[in-house]
Amino acid sequence: MTPGQVSVQLAPVLHRPSAYQRLVTAHGALRVNLTLGLLLAVIALGLIAPLLPLPNPIKPDPFNSLKPPSAEHWFGTDPNGFDVFSRTIHAIRTDFALSISSVLLGVLIGVPLGAISGYLGGVIDNLINRVSEVIQGFPQLLFGMAVLAVAGNTLVNVVLITAFYNVPVYAKMVRSVVLPLRDVEFVQAARLSGNSPLSVVFRHIIPNALLPVVSQFPLSCAYAVQMIAGLSFIGLGVQIPIPEWGAMIQQGANYVVFSKWWPSVFPGLALVLSVSLLSSLSDQLKVLVTRRA
Amino acid sequence: MLASARSWGIYLLRRLVYLMVSLLGVSIITFSATRLLGNPVYLLVGTTYTKEMVENMTRELGLDRPVYEQYARYMANLLRGDLGQSRYTFNPVVVDIQRRLPATLELATYSLLLGALWAIPAGALAGRYRGSLFARLADFIARTGVSVPNFWLGLILIFLLFAAFHLLPPPLGRIAADASPPPAITGWYTIDSLLAGNLNTLWASLKQLVMPALTLAFTTSPSLFQITRNTTEAVYSTDYMRTAKAFGLSPWTITRYALKNILVPVLTMLAMTYGYLIGGTVLVEVVFAWPGLGLYAVDAMNHADYEPIMGVVLLSALFYILVYLAADIINSMIDPRIRMEGI
Repeated sequence: MTPGQVSVQLAPVLHRPSAYQRLVTAHGALRVNLTLGLLLAVIALGLIAPLLPLPNPIKPDPFNSLKPPSAEHWFGTDPNGFDVFSRTIHAIRTDFALSISSVLLGVLIGVPLGAISGYLGGVIDNLINRVSEVIQGFPQLLFGMAVLAVAGNTLVNVVLITAFYNVPVYAKMVRSVVLPLRDVEFVQAARLSGNSPLSVVFRHIIPNALLPVVSQFPLSCAYAVQMIAGLSFIGLGVQIPIPEWGAMIQQGANYVVFSKWWPSVFPGLALVLSVSLLSSLSDQLKVLVTRRA
Repeated sequence: MLASARSWGIYLLRRLVYLMVSLLGVSIITFSATRLLGNPVYLLVGTTYTKEMVENMTRELGLDRPVYEQYARYMANLLRGDLGQSRYTFNPVVVDIQRRLPATLELATYSLLLGALWAIPAGALAGRYRGSLFARLADFIARTGVSVPNFWLGLILIFLLFAAFHLLPPPLGRIAADASPPPAITGWYTIDSLLAGNLNTLWASLKQLVMPALTLAFTTSPSLFQITRNTTEAVYSTDYMRTAKAFGLSPWTITRYALKNILVPVLTMLAMTYGYLIGGTVLVEVVFAWPGLGLYAVDAMNHADYEPIMGVVLLSALFYILVYLAADIINSMIDPRIRMEGI
């Protein structure tokens, strides 16, 4: 047998299906394409919102307040006379930017923390674990309110407090990936060939935790959007006139009893759509994690 | 028997130690949040202040002392049940909380029961008959429940049940404006009405409960549904269940075996949901003008009054930890494997 033949025989075995192909095999093309397509469409819509021929989302029109949906104002107007459709589209920018940045921050802190805690074990591990549990049992929204009341109601603080809740999620996840890897051969080899503990953790262990982190990411964003919208709904975080779904729902809330539903219903629908797309993406991505294990 | 009793003791002891550690963690986090993130002095002195006022207030609050001393004082106050004073109701926070706790407890409890009433049977059925039309439908409903923000769902219910079809009274508070609350005994309007034998008040308070409780039940029950479904499915595909069936045990006996194994995770999730609900009713209380802890915290926030919010945070965290502990203890009674962990 010549080496050439061997490589020909091995080729089909070495071929690994792409992540997308594996998603399609597991869930069917329709579901995967629908989720990805819609989510990308929402994000794209948010990105190009300023270029679209939409009414100015922050220009009040007091003479046209609370007008029901019409050809001119597709989603009607709110109590300030803002165009609800334009604001709903522009709010994609606010909500996605805030939630993605807060989850990213949580990942950036949580991943190394979890890796170190799993790799070192012992007291530090125990401490980080207990603190994570306590944080996860906290009433998130209430604690967020308290912190914003003390530290000041700024968008940066909203992002920080949302990130704070994501830290234990990722720390725990990475820890559970790192723990069984501690004494695996390739890690021992890396350690024995003189790598410092830090470089072992960051270059050899953390890459293995990438897939679970990626599959959790959209779900965390979904929760973050809900948290940010909830805070804005009670007047914290995003302030009028910046378009944001939670704040928009709040603007219309007092008029729902008078059957003027449109200022609250449409931004809420956008919120529900985004959250459910993000969480079903997370759901579908989990296949990638379990397949490999 | 003796060994098992001892290991159970060890298990309970360990739980208690965890409880202490968790409580310590909670107090450290709330303490640092108020002291390190911002300076409460500036909240207290208002917008126009002199340097002297700031210094006096700092000394008055003990903020010029070392951090460990501040923390010791904070803890001492907590242990005495002193959560500070509200600066707009002028009551001690503890008094305000005691007054408002029944409203939140009542709402949370009915929401939990309502959610469990649908989620547990539906979850069991969906787990038993996975892939059936019912299982898919229930799964869709649960997924919707996760994605829908509760404050928005509350508004939708108000629009449908009150504004559009007038099926329910105006969504303002715990009892209709034309009825007076029952004499306070437990603080639960439904129970107090029953104790007073006043069915009109009971009816009036139940009608106010429907919308907020439905909202919370719908948005908090999905995890309960999912855990029931997944455990049911897992239990029914175990070897011991197959063996039991192969031995020809009666369906009743088999169900009993299954239930005992399904119960533990379901109970834990029930406890977690209940614990979550106490701090998680905030937005729904705002939507329905429900005079509970959440609304109290929001009012305090609007008055830049942080001590009531911290009090509510502490209480919800404490409640969560206690309910969780209760579930752990009940679980250890049901499942001997849990209480043998100590060995």
